[in-house]
Amino acid sequence: MELRAYIIRRLFLLIPVLFGVTLFIFGITMLFSPIERASLYVTSARQMSDIPQLIETYGLDRPFYVQYGTWISQVFHGNLGWSRVVGMPVWDAIWNFLPATLELAIFAAPLIVLIGIFLGTQAAAHKDRPIDHGTRVLSILGWSLPTFWLGLILIMLFYGYFRGLLPPGRLSIQTDMMIHAADFVRYTRINTIDAILNLNGTVLLDAIRHLILPIVTLTVVQMAFIMRLMRSSMLESLGKGYVLTARAKGLAERVVVNKHARRNALIPVITVSGYVFAGLANGVVITETIFTYKGIGWWAWQSAVRLDIASVLGFALFNAFLFVLVNLVVDVLYTRVDPRVRLGGAVQ
Amino acid sequence: MKDLVRIRDLSVRFYTYEGIVHAIDDLDLEIRQGETLGIVGETGSGKSMTALAILRLIPYPGKIESGSIALLDKESGGELQLLKLREDRMRAIRGNRISMVFQEPGAALNPVYTIGDQISEVLLLHRREELARRAREHLDILLRDGGSPASGLKKPFWRWQRRLYSKIAEATSAVEPRLVGRMPFFKRLLGRLRDEARLLTVNMLKDVEIPDPDRVAAHYPHELSGGMKQRAVIAMALACSPELLIADEPTTSLDVTIQAQMLELFRRIKAEKGASVLFITHNLGVASEVCDRVAVMYAGRLCEVTTIEDLFLHPSHPYTKALLDAVPIPGKELQTIPGALADALNPPPGCRFHPRCPRAMPMCQQDRPKLKEIGKDHMVACYLF
Amino acid sequence: MTDWKFTVRQLAKNPLSLMGIIIIIVFAILAIFAPLIAPTPENQRDPYLIPRDGYSATPQPPSEEHIWGTTEGQYDIFYGVMWGTRSAFRVGLVVVGIVLVIGIVLGSLAGYFGGIIDEIIMRITDIFLAFPALILAMAIVSSIGPSLRSVMIALIVVSWPSYARLIRGDILQVREEDYIEASRGLGASSARVIIRHALPNAIYPTLIMASLDIGAIVLAAAALSFLGLGAPEGYADWGQLTSFARNWIVGPPNNPLKYWYAVTIPGLFILFFVLGWNLLGDAFRDIFDPRLARR
Repeated sequence: MELRAYIIRRLFLLIPVLFGVTLFIFGITMLFSPIERASLYVTSARQMSDIPQLIETYGLDRPFYVQYGTWISQVFHGNLGWSRVVGMPVWDAIWNFLPATLELAIFAAPLIVLIGIFLGTQAAAHKDRPIDHGTRVLSILGWSLPTFWLGLILIMLFYGYFRGLLPPGRLSIQTDMMIHAADFVRYTRINTIDAILNLNGTVLLDAIRHLILPIVTLTVVQMAFIMRLMRSSMLESLGKGYVLTARAKGLAERVVVNKHARRNALIPVITVSGYVFAGLANGVVITETIFTYKGIGWWAWQSAVRLDIASVLGFALFNAFLFVLVNLVVDVLYTRVDPRVRLGGAVQ
Repeated sequence: MKDLVRIRDLSVRFYTYEGIVHAIDDLDLEIRQGETLGIVGETGSGKSMTALAILRLIPYPGKIESGSIALLDKESGGELQLLKLREDRMRAIRGNRISMVFQEPGAALNPVYTIGDQISEVLLLHRREELARRAREHLDILLRDGGSPASGLKKPFWRWQRRLYSKIAEATSAVEPRLVGRMPFFKRLLGRLRDEARLLTVNMLKDVEIPDPDRVAAHYPHELSGGMKQRAVIAMALACSPELLIADEPTTSLDVTIQAQMLELFRRIKAEKGASVLFITHNLGVASEVCDRVAVMYAGRLCEVTTIEDLFLHPSHPYTKALLDAVPIPGKELQTIPGALADALNPPPGCRFHPRCPRAMPMCQQDRPKLKEIGKDHMVACYLF
Repeated sequence: MTDWKFTVRQLAKNPLSLMGIIIIIVFAILAIFAPLIAPTPENQRDPYLIPRDGYSATPQPPSEEHIWGTTEGQYDIFYGVMWGTRSAFRVGLVVVGIVLVIGIVLGSLAGYFGGIIDEIIMRITDIFLAFPALILAMAIVSSIGPSLRSVMIALIVVSWPSYARLIRGDILQVREEDYIEASRGLGASSARVIIRHALPNAIYPTLIMASLDIGAIVLAAAALSFLGLGAPEGYADWGQLTSFARNWIVGPPNNPLKYWYAVTIPGLFILFFVLGWNLLGDAFRDIFDPRLARR
């Protein structure tokens, strides 16, 4: 099936899934009282005080499907409600906090993937030797670590014990003033990129300093998972006939491992990368919370604890949408990597 | 004529969790130039291991314990001790002077690369100089003819390329081609090697009677049938014109009609290429179709080795006779060999076959019988002789 | 099922799995004997409420009275982690148990009958799987109201789809096997075929996943409690205990590690508990891997 046609078809299929997702999310809101649900329809601070009128206007005491209908039409108009916690519409809140999280993701994702794949391959290629055992211990430990605890310990050490070496937050106060000054253009609102574009070394260094601990916290758990998966996938691949054939052709071991075995071993890892994204989304909430790093994860937590449902639901919806998109990308990538699979998932 | 391959006192042991398995036990065997030698035996007889030992590809936890495998160097007349070779020298032999075809063609081919790529890989590895020479010739033609006006711009590049290929063709370990080969963009200059390899690949596919070889080369393994895959694997093994082709049960996984075609192909290869073939099978019928001589193995040891005619006309070792008798013939009662296969961990003492042998004698339990010549080109390891 | 004997033997041989089993047994002992190890004060009805010794906000270091110190609000850490072991087991086993049941039932139905039943169930799992688990759990807990029970409900809702999918996949594989045909040919009813023939063979990978998951579930519950969305303040739950430490990670400048006990101890308990289950699950995986020869 042609690529374009496939993508269009998948995006079409997105609709029923999103429909189900929104239905489910909305179903959760029905567990709240009408007053709390009013915040879903609000677009400015002032409206919050007109709650009884809102209940009237939006029919918040009417039957489920009517309410769902009104809510959906609101969503289509871009109104996801009012975020009590940060005092702005939910939609704006998402775009406000997104760059910070993106900054984390941009660094964390490649690290997780590259290091995980590399260590996994090495562990498999040198099975039962020190590096294999070491990687195994690392990955089991990493997978068992409570992310939040790791974050706390890291802060204890690198901020407490080492006197403020790697502080929490996104930027120190001075640097924060710098980026809000007139001569600093915030192109992307991603501090590291902006610093480079503005040729500002101080901001760049400060931003990196604040990024190190959150990124370590974020990557450790996911890396452990990828490492383990890559190792077992490589072991399976190395046991296959084409590896023996490759050796029988006289190819150097390095070529056999990297060109023949690894390429095949990567296939299941790619399918799993959707889960890595999910793991990142989860990890981001905890990590940002601990390090007071104001991205959407932090915002989501604040909202959840203060029972600001509009925000939580907006966040969940946003996430679901992103997740489905990521899965689409992964599926297409999968067909590129494994020639046996055609678009549509059918294995020949 | 000197033997192409001479195996002496070869022992291969597997160190498993449950104990030591003697996969091959003091094996003496020769493969002569130009002959097709068959190794026949049941599972666990050590026949596949012999093939892997020659290529030094015995998998973990196996180890070549002792013995020697000598490969004849046709030009000098001298011998190469394969088991003592440095690994990189051994790699130069694998796929080049000795190559192997495995039982499952589907498993032997890497599913993520095209057929053409996988065959070209061998050529690019072992025949680089020749490919460079051909590329240089093509460039000579291009430079001479001039071609279209636009090619005026390309000429300097062509000249550079020609110089590069010259260097490779002279087989000097010149620095320039190696450097260029590693640099991301400039790598393309060496792209003609790939093209030449591709041409040769298509020829090889034609040789093994694959229809429409150009298209097939661009296909992935899963897009071909079993018979085609096996042909492709054979093409891959023959690409560098090896002196010895090892085929491990090449027809076992194919259906009977394809099997017949495959055997025909082997016969043709034998006739045309002059290479020696080590043909491993458990099927005596198949062996009779292609082999000149046959060696019968049981439990890691050689029982009998002789010409194919002598094997059928004068089978001497009781195991050989039992194998022949066991071939099902319509109308005749099905004969089986009594008893079970020798336990790999605790093999019977003395002659491995004695528990199942109808003519076993007390001395068969004591010491292992040695190979004795009982006729012209006919050796047997049995106390009956 | 003689596989089980082999399995147990293999488990005993593998040092990592042995370690995992020992860890789990130690925790189990702690959980069972919690009332003896950390006795509840007499006037307290609910043993899961950690006794408080005052109301001061500053955590107190380990002392004679409080062996491992107290957290912010003077909750005894030792008591908290001991009874927290019980909470952990409760959460882990209950959630995974229920999820297994739901997953097996729905997965078997989907896998065995196929067709429209399969489609419906698969679309439903798709919807659930479209969310990153923690976020969905957060949404559910905030709507029902934070408590350990809502955490368990949320985790059940979030986890069952993966199991259903897994079982379905295994049943699909196993369905085509000959012995299924054979038993159908002998007239066995669908239910019988599923329960007696298809499931036992399909279930091993799921058991692996389940054992690995107990650790992950407890981690997730701890994370939710840490974020304030789980057990209420003062409840004996490891995540809850850790959340107290948030304000006390870094001590005064001359002694930055002063309150280490508040952070480290509950966290270590979580770490080792999860580690134990992960080691076990890992060992299971190695054993049940059909590719690894049974040498």
